Amino acid sequence: SPRFIALCPTTLSSSSSGRADEEEQRLRSDLRERFLRTLLSMTDKQVEFNMHEKVRVRARFGASDIDVLNFQVSDLETPLGVQREALLRSQDVISCSFEL
Amino acid sequence: MLQWSDRSPQQWREFVNQEVCVTARDQQRFEGRVFTVDPVSASVVLVSFLEHECPSVKVILGHAVTDVQILASGTEETERRMKSLFLPDRTQVLSK
Amino acid sequence: VSWRSSLPPSERPGERRTSEMKKLYGKDAAKIQGMETAMQLTFDRNCDKKQPKYWPVIPLNL
Repeated sequence: SPRFIALCPTTLSSSSSGRADEEEQRLRSDLRERFLRTLLSMTDKQVEFNMHEKVRVRARFGASDIDVLNFQVSDLETPLGVQREALLRSQDVISCSFEL
Repeated sequence: MLQWSDRSPQQWREFVNQEVCVTARDQQRFEGRVFTVDPVSASVVLVSFLEHECPSVKVILGHAVTDVQILASGTEETERRMKSLFLPDRTQVLSK
Repeated sequence: VSWRSSLPPSERPGERRTSEMKKLYGKDAAKIQGMETAMQLTFDRNCDKKQPKYWPVIPLNL
């Protein structure tokens, strides 16, 4: 799949160096697991999204798809009022922050 | 220099537990300690511990990252403290 | 809803993906895949139930 090819250019071409691959897999798993835990800890938190063109909005975080393309949020405080349910495109977002 | 999102897990791992300054598009800067870099989206997760306040977490989306500079190294203590924030007992859904 | 269109084209999702996950994550592939599946399910379920609309309607970052 395209996702795999984008993720894994090195491992695709080299099947020889087994130990290096294993080390890379271990590192990738650890990094990915930490990220997934971060997304889980965002669930139901008030999150501030800092977006392109200096747009800042707050919302309650629901979930993200696994490719981190979209954020599903509730009670989005837009400059024109509250949108009850919304999807934010991750391409529009520079950063998001929340408190634990 | 290799684009941030094109780096390898090894290269991203070097930043974990270090205190860094992330520069994003529009020249915005974010400081904090790196908890992880998502190998799928290259997004950086920063944690800040402030006295008498809740720890704060910032996620800078990988597509927006232009540069990451290390400011100071972490210790075992900072790594332990950071990990404890996201442990399975705080996020039980994942523990199975 | 158009978020569906961001998913990879309709190849058989099961087997190919499992072997890809194995190459990416090695021994931990099953664990990562389990976590991802749970998260994607939550996302899909929330989208079905709440029918969220994109905000803003037009992407900011062109």
